[in-house]
Amino acid sequence: MLKLAWRNIWRNRGRSVITIAAVMFCVIFAVVLRSFQVGVWENMIHEIVGNNFGYLQIHEDGFWADQSLDRTIDFNTVNVQELLSVNGVDRLIPRMESFSLLYHGSNTKGSLVMGIDPALELPGLQLDDILLEGRSFSRDDSVIVVSEGLANYFNVGLGDTLLFMGQGYHGATAYGAFPIGGIARMTNPELNKQLVLMPFQKAQYMYNCTDRATTLVVAVNKDSNYETVGAALKGLGAEGLEILEWKELFPEIIQTIEVDMAGGRIFVTILYFIISFVLLGTVIMMVAERQREFGILISIGMKKTKLAYVTLLENIMLIMGGAIAGMAVVKPVQFYFKYHPIDLSGRMKEAIEQYNFEPKLYTTTSFIINLNHGTIIFAIGVLVSLYALVKIMKLNPIESMRS
Amino acid sequence: MSKAVIEVRGLYKVYEGAVPVKAVNGIDLTITEGEFTALKGPSGCGKTTLLNLLGGLDQPTSGSILIDGIDITELSDNELIDFRLHNIGFVFQAYNLIPVLSATENVSFIMLLQDRPKEERLARAEQLLKAVGLSGKENIRPGQLSGGQQQRVAVARALASKPKFVLADEPTANLDSESTSKLLDIMDELNAQENMTFVFATHDDRVIAKAKRVVSIGDGKIISDTAK
Repeated sequence: MLKLAWRNIWRNRGRSVITIAAVMFCVIFAVVLRSFQVGVWENMIHEIVGNNFGYLQIHEDGFWADQSLDRTIDFNTVNVQELLSVNGVDRLIPRMESFSLLYHGSNTKGSLVMGIDPALELPGLQLDDILLEGRSFSRDDSVIVVSEGLANYFNVGLGDTLLFMGQGYHGATAYGAFPIGGIARMTNPELNKQLVLMPFQKAQYMYNCTDRATTLVVAVNKDSNYETVGAALKGLGAEGLEILEWKELFPEIIQTIEVDMAGGRIFVTILYFIISFVLLGTVIMMVAERQREFGILISIGMKKTKLAYVTLLENIMLIMGGAIAGMAVVKPVQFYFKYHPIDLSGRMKEAIEQYNFEPKLYTTTSFIINLNHGTIIFAIGVLVSLYALVKIMKLNPIESMRS
Repeated sequence: MSKAVIEVRGLYKVYEGAVPVKAVNGIDLTITEGEFTALKGPSGCGKTTLLNLLGGLDQPTSGSILIDGIDITELSDNELIDFRLHNIGFVFQAYNLIPVLSATENVSFIMLLQDRPKEERLARAEQLLKAVGLSGKENIRPGQLSGGQQQRVAVARALASKPKFVLADEPTANLDSESTSKLLDIMDELNAQENMTFVFATHDDRVIAKAKRVVSIGDGKIISDTAK
């Protein structure tokens, strides 16, 4: 029966090639589409989360919900060595984040102040890469780096001094005066309007938070999985600390991804409908073409169930061939665009940049996408093949032989 | 006295429509083992319909068809397919071989459906192809054979299942004189040597001349039944 099914496939090469090609191209289109969609998100998450905020953050318990300096991590009570000893933790990056009112001349503006240690920071906060002018600062420095928008607002340049006024730990007054050592362009437009970066220790001092930090960003080893590391950190049961993954820190990103993915799914579903009708067309063509033969086979004593089985086997071989070919052929395409992303230009580029996203279209190389779409299209093909089975089960041999 | 292979009693087949057509209009017929019978008559007289009814391919409006004592009109669709597989051989006007299978595979296919062992299938296919004069053509597919050769493969296929009788519907209609003559000689020989029962629906005088019994049909009825 297998031999018969195999030979039937090659009897009408044109039809077989159409079926295989239809399945193959559908798999390719679906996989390319989803690969770009997932790839772009993967890249954005890597850029925003991986390079700036970190996949894992540690705070004083309750800080993320109520971001007050009264809920800062106290280094005298936290066992940093124990946190560092967890498998997969590369380093802990301390940050001091708060708000201050800034003055220069007669201008004031509320700004986000971030105390960082550039030597430990993630790639997105490596000052040398984002500076427009001036210089970075070291641990013991007294200069600050302001965002481009803020510098424009105050109309200040290198060497000018900004005054800070705010509230520190336990209601203490937080004030200071710092000269501008550099002006940086933040890719996030909101941050670019209001961010001030200063040496971590200076921020601790200004906010009266000596030996304290608002955040410990967990830098994870390259070959470690942040979820595993996060679970291990949580497993320590460190009292008074909250260990949050990026999905808990930024649920709005997840929601945005889900909305975007839903749009993609609608598009892919339309593609599935199209392929369903293409496949149905080839199955109808096959049944019509072989109506007479089916009648003969039943006349000479072939059971309808056996005939249906052979026909289904043929279709399964064709559809599986197309699906496997599609999954394989698209793989180099995925790899190519992963490492040679499409550069967007014009208005699309500007629109995407506004959201702090890199204006490039990447693909993902995850084989799960290929497998998912290959399987779905294979299942659609098998489902469509049921048409032939129904026709065979209802077949009247005399009418078929007359056809 | 020879045993009755086919017994038809009060057989009717009416095609309903604006004007009902009585394709088979009250036929009684008995065919015994080893007969070489031709059902003759003009186109539309009902001979093919009768042949389809005898082969269990169609259901009569009324009447009974007993084959070896079994009334096939009472069998279910699946039982009929199984019955045909083990009891009836078919030869069609248009050969109707499976194009993707070789001559041997076409002949042995029906035995495959009967779940016979491979050795037996191949041996019988070889023997039958030799009997119909196609030695050396075993591995050739139908498309590479002439019409006459294809019809001889069809005859070999019809006999492969060791049926109780063979039904042939206009088997020579697409053949030239030489091929017709060869095919009829082969069937005549098989009839004589293996006592195989053949029933033809034909209006070919060459077939009628070979037949040992000629049943004339007109308007769905038997007009005459002559044994030679």
